[in-house]
Amino acid sequence: MSTSISLRGVGRRFGSAWALADVDLDLAPGVTGLLGPNGAGKTTLLRLFATALSPTEGTVSVLGLDPAEPAERTGIRRRLGYLPQEIGFPRGFSAFAFVDYVALLKEWTQPAARHAEVRRVLDLTGLSGIAAKKIRTLSGGQRRRVALAQALLGPPAVLILDEPTTGLDPEQRATLRTVLAELARTSVVVLSTHQTEDVAALCERVIVLDSGRVRYDGLVTELTGQAAGRVWLADEPDPAASVSWRTGTGRYRNVAEHARTGVEHVEPSLEDAYLLLRGGRPAQADGQAEQAARSREVLS
Amino acid sequence: MTETIAARRTTAPESGLGPLTPLAWRETRRYVRNPVFLAGVVFTAFAVKSWHAGAVQEIGTLSAYPAIFLGGFGMIAACWLTQSTRRSAEALDVTPTTPQARTAALCAVAIVPFLLGCLSLLLFVRIQPLDGVWRYGAFSPSDRMAVLLSQLVVPTLGGPLLGIALARWVRFPGTAIVAFLFLYGWVSLITILAWNHANSVPFVMLRFFAPFTFFTLTDGPYNVDTWRGSPWFFVGWQLGLCAVAVTVALLRGADGRRQRRLIRALVAVAAVTALMYALTVTGGWDHPVVSHLGQAPVPIGHSPHPTNR
Repeated sequence: MSTSISLRGVGRRFGSAWALADVDLDLAPGVTGLLGPNGAGKTTLLRLFATALSPTEGTVSVLGLDPAEPAERTGIRRRLGYLPQEIGFPRGFSAFAFVDYVALLKEWTQPAARHAEVRRVLDLTGLSGIAAKKIRTLSGGQRRRVALAQALLGPPAVLILDEPTTGLDPEQRATLRTVLAELARTSVVVLSTHQTEDVAALCERVIVLDSGRVRYDGLVTELTGQAAGRVWLADEPDPAASVSWRTGTGRYRNVAEHARTGVEHVEPSLEDAYLLLRGGRPAQADGQAEQAARSREVLS
Repeated sequence: MTETIAARRTTAPESGLGPLTPLAWRETRRYVRNPVFLAGVVFTAFAVKSWHAGAVQEIGTLSAYPAIFLGGFGMIAACWLTQSTRRSAEALDVTPTTPQARTAALCAVAIVPFLLGCLSLLLFVRIQPLDGVWRYGAFSPSDRMAVLLSQLVVPTLGGPLLGIALARWVRFPGTAIVAFLFLYGWVSLITILAWNHANSVPFVMLRFFAPFTFFTLTDGPYNVDTWRGSPWFFVGWQLGLCAVAVTVALLRGADGRRQRRLIRALVAVAAVTALMYALTVTGGWDHPVVSHLGQAPVPIGHSPHPTNR
């Protein structure tokens, strides 16, 4: 498969803090999941893919084009869909009007073709019935789908999604998976999420970021396989486990760095593998540097 | 669903004009529905309705209404229109339409208040013809037209452009209202100062260092003071300020060669604007005069008719 996104020695600094460092990646069509604790650099990486940020060091290539060159950047943006982590909407816009506005900015200048495209993406995201409603009257999940709809316009050759399933109910998440799986046949889809089950259900490849560096880059099945023999159920939390929690059956699920014998092993999930990769460290402490740096960026 | 996505893989079909024209239409439709702009139009209409030959006792008083309501309110509306998409900026900024094209489309909305300003001018001239009217002071008919252009028309163009430039660079939501109050206060202050120091060069300079000014003052029955300065060059100064506002607005988000070109354009426009300002101050009457019905103008202080100067 041809490489659609390529990063070489990419680093991104906010003030004196490095949000990303020494990142080398090649992404081809398919769905790639991006996992990591808060502040690991996921959003920074996605913004680099989406040409919303430029790297402090290293080179980025998207669809064979250099986003540092204005003309080539425009070429990338013609084939890009981007769902930011947080997005607001102009006051007074309906769902249709907002997506139509973005479609116009994406150079859909012929009204009939544009309206047909807008209706298509609203249909894909299940918003056809409420397209005429003002966005401010919609629920959080519906607003998220409006934001998602604008990203699907095109359809894009590169689709960057920052926490797309936030606020979506299980049915909506399942629908989204279907849409993304279809799109990924020909497009590069990168999604950042804290929902490991979304990554497990949808992604072939997963990248785990930690403190701005790539901690794991490979197949989801391989990462999950690394946890084989290290997850077991017990009646009590095991002191040898890195992480343990009480499940719905009343028994404890234990995850340990070293394989155990003589226990009731269970099939590991991606979440188990992710926790093992993280070494059971508390997630919040890691990303403080990037969060502080991003706060400074917002203030500046 | 596979068919739906795969079959529609395409780039956006081009109409040949790019998104600028439809985007300008879109922004204009949003602008004319803005309640602040609509209020400005209604207030202007009320003001214009009150214009009739007998009501025009003083040129400056009546001609200020379109500047306030179409220019000032139009500035607030344009600022809010520009700020309205800020919360979606992260998604909108990665579309192929550049921030400059979006800003240009926003600037196009200023055509609407500008046309209404032109209409106001026509109505004004219809009830107060330029030829032989003592209320215009000691200006020639050509200069009278320049005075009216500077008071009735150009502010209706400049106000919205200023609002867009402010919104592009200042994040504070109340920017436009603060700017409106500041400009209103500034023009009022310098008018009072000019009234009391009509022959002082520093105060003349101060009076023209504004996007709006008065050139005459009706000072008692049939007496009109005509102040220093060139009305036509003042129109040039105002249009220069409009060009500065547009260039400053376009600079936001520009990078590389486009940024360098815009900076060069800004320097050139600023230089021309400064020249217009200098010519405004040094042109026209070199001293304030008072004219009386049927008599030649005389310098203020030498009038056979008493004034308050």
